Amino acid sequence: MTNTPSSTALSRIWTLLLACAISTPSARTLAQEAHDVNGIIPFPTTTRTLANGLEVIVMPMPSEGLVTFWSIVRTGSRDEYEPGRSGFAHFFEHMMFRGTERYPAERYLEAMVGIGANMNAYTTDDHTAYHVSMAKEDLEKVIELESDRFENLSYSESGFQTEAGAVYGEYRKSRTDPHFALDEALVATAFEKHTYGHTTMGFERDVAAMPTMYAYSRSFFARYYRPENTVLFVVGDVDPARVLPLLERYYGGWKRGYVTPEIPVEPEQKGERRLDVAYDGQTLPIIWVAYKMPAFAPSDRTRVAAELLAELAFGETSEIYRRLVLDEQVVEYVDAGADDSRDPKLFEIEARVKDPAKIDYVLGVLDATISAARDSPPDAARLAGLKQRLKYGFVMGLQTPDAVASRLAHFIALSGDLEGVRTLYATYAQLSPEDVQHAAQSYLVAARRTIGVLRARQ
Amino acid sequence: MNAAARAVCVAAIAAALGACGRGEHAATPSQAEDTSVVLMPVAADPTVSFSVSFAVGSQDDPPGKEGLAFLTGQMLADAATEKRSLDEILEALYPLASAYDVRVDRERTTLTGRTHRDNTAKFFELYSDAFLRPAFTAADFERVKSDAINDLERTLRYSSDEDLGKAALEDFVFRGTRYAHPSEGTVQGLRAITLDDVRDFYRSRFTAATALPAVGGGYDDRTVAGLGAAVRELPRGTASAPPAIAPAPLAGRDALLIAKPGADSSISFGFPVDVHRGERDFYALWIANSWLGEHRNQSSHLFNVIRERRGLNYGDYSYIEAFPEGGHRSMPPVNVPRREQLFQIWIRTLPNDKAVFALRAALRELASLVDRGLTSEQFELTRGFLKKYSLHFAETASARLGYAVDDRFYGLTGDGHLARFRKMLDELTLDDVNAAIKRHLQYANLKIAVVTGDADGLRAALVSGAPTPITYDSPKPAAITDEDREIAAFPLRIEAERVTVVPVDQAFER
Repeated sequence: MTNTPSSTALSRIWTLLLACAISTPSARTLAQEAHDVNGIIPFPTTTRTLANGLEVIVMPMPSEGLVTFWSIVRTGSRDEYEPGRSGFAHFFEHMMFRGTERYPAERYLEAMVGIGANMNAYTTDDHTAYHVSMAKEDLEKVIELESDRFENLSYSESGFQTEAGAVYGEYRKSRTDPHFALDEALVATAFEKHTYGHTTMGFERDVAAMPTMYAYSRSFFARYYRPENTVLFVVGDVDPARVLPLLERYYGGWKRGYVTPEIPVEPEQKGERRLDVAYDGQTLPIIWVAYKMPAFAPSDRTRVAAELLAELAFGETSEIYRRLVLDEQVVEYVDAGADDSRDPKLFEIEARVKDPAKIDYVLGVLDATISAARDSPPDAARLAGLKQRLKYGFVMGLQTPDAVASRLAHFIALSGDLEGVRTLYATYAQLSPEDVQHAAQSYLVAARRTIGVLRARQ
Repeated sequence: MNAAARAVCVAAIAAALGACGRGEHAATPSQAEDTSVVLMPVAADPTVSFSVSFAVGSQDDPPGKEGLAFLTGQMLADAATEKRSLDEILEALYPLASAYDVRVDRERTTLTGRTHRDNTAKFFELYSDAFLRPAFTAADFERVKSDAINDLERTLRYSSDEDLGKAALEDFVFRGTRYAHPSEGTVQGLRAITLDDVRDFYRSRFTAATALPAVGGGYDDRTVAGLGAAVRELPRGTASAPPAIAPAPLAGRDALLIAKPGADSSISFGFPVDVHRGERDFYALWIANSWLGEHRNQSSHLFNVIRERRGLNYGDYSYIEAFPEGGHRSMPPVNVPRREQLFQIWIRTLPNDKAVFALRAALRELASLVDRGLTSEQFELTRGFLKKYSLHFAETASARLGYAVDDRFYGLTGDGHLARFRKMLDELTLDDVNAAIKRHLQYANLKIAVVTGDADGLRAALVSGAPTPITYDSPKPAAITDEDREIAAFPLRIEAERVTVVPVDQAFER
């Protein structure tokens, strides 16, 4: 039986739960704040936690009548701990467009088309996000539609099986990419127990078997699509004082029920692992070196310094970039990253080698670069330049409501709020060259790395 | 730029979702402005967007040197200047979190960049040096040429069958014209290009006469004057007439199969359409096309028929203008203006044994649209959708700037393309739309490009015309299975001698 949001709303009185100050600054103030690169989130935010545990964040910004509405479910492929279920979080993202009793898929779509909404969704290791951008006058309609499907999703087994075909199609379009092939093989080698050992797309055998998993899909929805596992993020031409009561009205009846997934802990890696991947097609060889890294910890100086280490040691102004890409021209590119994640994951270095005979040479230069990063701190001026780059890069990315939301959704998924990203940027500002060196010494350890090399199959 | 630097710039461009007309009132152009510079003021924007669009494109590549415009563009955006080596440029751009990048398309080479307005002067010096003072070093040339060849030989041929299929369709339709080869060139064309070719091409083509400067966002008068002055530093030059692009008239249906071992099927098909921005029929056709196949949107009718109801693939869309990087963007691109356009349908990757069925389904829907037009309900729904959906085309200053630059190409003065579109959404009637469909769309004469791992089987199925019934893993309602029987037998009308099979290793070789 469907519990319609509107009927729920009629019986509910808006109450303030965890109150933060509501501010309704003028557009002029917002514009001025937006120019300030020192305040890392230059727009005011209002945060509430509803009685059912649903976190809502409202962020007004100048956007000339446009609003974006994000539903961030803190479940991703990380939560696929049961055998044979890899790829299910992503598959379920597709199912969320299959309708409810009140708004079957056709009616949901008709309503979204009627308001010219730009909507989509994506899935990552750690979260699944559903986003709709619209004119501000249509926000309430979107809230109604979104709350209905999150609370009352309903689909037939045949509809479920049809969508499985579309998901397999997405797998098909992706698998020709050599990076996809290497990524799939590398994470499977790097992780023996943890669910980061499969990609968000999932193993092909599991994707192919999805049509048989209808009953499981209902369980997946019941366990993970719950208010205490979800954050709503509303950005753009909005007034928090008007939006918050709407959210309470439409989402207040959504019942708790989140079941924590039993994600296995990855044992400590105690020896270097290597793998070779044969690619069915023509490609330049790709080297991928991945070190085990702790989870996102925005106040941990060493963990945060690892992100800067990646840029300083392997970014476009690094010595290795100048040498291998520009001077010797033995690789097309070299890059590195220490991705933020909910559980311990990877510090990754990647290079595409122009000449297969130079693979070992490039691996040697990578090792020398890592040794140098462990042996001495980076130049203080380069670190200062990177800090400035991070600030400007962040602010320049905040152009539209959707851009703001997409940039911050990742952090919201990690920490459940915006405090994580604020802390992260505050930590960036404090880091010293010695912190960066310490990160290299702590994490770039050969016994905790996996080296993958992809080549065209002979 | 390397991948990371590109990411900054691509984000600027990709987030630049068109010029919807909103915000064009945000600031009043100053009297001090240089009238040669296209302006798109957005006072609240803390960033400044730059663009210099040269009337030079891959259509200007000399025969046998396909890729010359592309390599020249790369040597501006991804190489040293007379003042700085590339690593010095990267070092200088780094703390600004800024980058500039180039798009080389058939008609235009556009150098774009964006920076925070705190950093305008520092960025502008680097940006203007890129097009005024390229160093053309041998080392840079070797690198960008090698990357371009690898991009064709490895990435286009092997990493994305969907992009390969689309490029193959353009080549197939425009064969014999300077629009045929990819903007990146061909493998042999790129191999034949020397550094002297690039130098000469730059000197003769990248002149003040071919350059259109533009600036948008939170700029000041000094920036406008500086950009105008920089462009005037280029040799005066002359603008030459572009080559004629006259694809051979289509008669019947032709198929080009790119045989790639192990591949699934990725399909693109279409035909030239002679209708452009600014013309009433263009906007009427836009409404019809949005209903049939709005890009990456569930409102697309083709999406609903092939993916939503049948689960055959990831999506199915249609176009009346070039739409590069369709797999990576949700909104229309800027800086790809063209005199000649295709109507095309894109059927995303699906199993080889379902390819002919999906092709038939799309052909049948196109035929239905041409024969019956839109219904009143479809027309009103699509018109309402587009009135608001088009707000998302141009959410940023850099996107609005791109639209304004493209307006110049199409000769649109006064109201720009998107402003006209809005007016037309109010003015156009169902009869206008259906008349435009009749004038410009058809389904008898088509070119079809398919990347497939089963070229022999696909060829046989296409030529035999025998029904291609489909089965599903799940039960389907009678309405769908009944329709399936019609789709499975929909006439293909492809004669054996009109099917060409090309091994993937020969695609875009010369």
